[in-house]
Amino acid sequence: MKRQVPITLAILASLYPVIAFYFPAEGINRFNQSLDEWMVIIASFALALGVVSMIMVNLHKVRRRQKGWIFGLITLAAFAMMASFGLLGGQGSRELADGTTRLEPFTWVFQFMYSPLQSTMFSLLAFYVASASYRAFRVRNVEATLLLVGALIIMLGRVPLGAHLLPGIESWRIPGVADVAEWIMKYPNAAGQRGVIIGAALGAASMSIRVMVGIERPYLGKS
Amino acid sequence: MNWAQKLLMIDRRIIFLLVFLGALIPILVPIGLAVRVSPPVKSIFDRVEGLKPGDAIMLSFDYGPSDGPELDPMANAILRHCHKKGVRVLGLSLFPLGGVDMGIARFSQLSLETGARSGIDYVNLGYKDGGQAAMKLLGESLPAVFPSDVTGQPVGEIPAAQGVRNYNDIELVISLATSVLGEWWINLVNAQFGVDVAVGSTAVSAPKYYAYVEAGQAIGVMGGMKGASEYEDLVAQNYPALAGLSRTATVGMDVQSIVHLIIIMFIVFGNVMFIMTKRMK
Repeated sequence: MKRQVPITLAILASLYPVIAFYFPAEGINRFNQSLDEWMVIIASFALALGVVSMIMVNLHKVRRRQKGWIFGLITLAAFAMMASFGLLGGQGSRELADGTTRLEPFTWVFQFMYSPLQSTMFSLLAFYVASASYRAFRVRNVEATLLLVGALIIMLGRVPLGAHLLPGIESWRIPGVADVAEWIMKYPNAAGQRGVIIGAALGAASMSIRVMVGIERPYLGKS
Repeated sequence: MNWAQKLLMIDRRIIFLLVFLGALIPILVPIGLAVRVSPPVKSIFDRVEGLKPGDAIMLSFDYGPSDGPELDPMANAILRHCHKKGVRVLGLSLFPLGGVDMGIARFSQLSLETGARSGIDYVNLGYKDGGQAAMKLLGESLPAVFPSDVTGQPVGEIPAAQGVRNYNDIELVISLATSVLGEWWINLVNAQFGVDVAVGSTAVSAPKYYAYVEAGQAIGVMGGMKGASEYEDLVAQNYPALAGLSRTATVGMDVQSIVHLIIIMFIVFGNVMFIMTKRMK
């Protein structure tokens, strides 16, 4: 029973929306809508599960004074601070008695601390990309050369400077680098992306069918 | 080690310094390069331009602060355009890592710049977990997914959301997305419900959306800061009253142009040194 019940529930829950899609009767649709609502609620519980897991991992690290435990302490302190701000103060802003607007603490910390920090971390990529490009982009063979030429055309064509440096000659029907870049995105790139998207979709479909008929049982865990 | 090999092993701090100067100088001394509008961005602009006052669109803030520099300018430009057209904007977020706060910041900026009124011209419905389940449920009933807005006011009492029961009452969905959320809007909402979907994505993700645009599943795509600068340019050209507002993506394109040029020069230089090193051997 420990295995049969979850497997039966999983098969029914995964088959029902498919049946509802192809046979959209009112009664069938009503329960299908309920399933979607339950899914939204369960997904929210998964978020809470992630929070609990994060707390337990970092508490364990701090208690055992493992390497980097101070960062675990900072993580827990930051979590406690933001959780308190969010639960007690809410988000957004509020109007004060004198007509001015004040941001709630949660939103203030998000906009003036978390946002700039995240943007800064991401902006470091630009420097590492430049350094890695200089060291790694080498024309060792024909394929690498084609890749490099394509990358250079896209890099130049996707910024305004490219259109100014290499504008093309309309009277001679010579396209500019921006036109060539757009053509590459629209045709070779789209063709390649279609292959990837279709492949991924077929893989997802086959995995879904395996879950639907009970062959794959990821919800049962290691047993 | 010969001189070409030494140049190949150049200290990366020199590269970092040149990139830093390439980013800093155009900010201090703007170049003002004209932006060329591409068809996928023009399609989105034309679709919004074709809406009538009172029409409603959904604007989904499916990104976090790390993608803010690319996607915030898109949000600002779209919100200004919609406000000028009298189009109601229903903001929402399905991205858990800060999406709703990005929406709060953008709507606040819109109100400051144009006097747009919360609850009348736009409503921020907030964040909902569940991804595709939430998208599917929005096709049945908006109040079932978002019973209230981000301030807790019941959605039925908000003028900006009046008459919007599900996707049938929405003219367009624009998803400003990182990760797969943009694809989910296209694959699920456009495919199953027939709603027009447009996507604003980071430059890294933009190439995959061209397949959807060419197939007609997405009406257009704004890719990265370039897409944002193109939309800003279109809004400024067609609505001169908005031309004086901040255009961070357009300023950013000067920076991007110079940094791209620096990286290209490094790549070419590195390969010339590589070839010379091989010949010297």
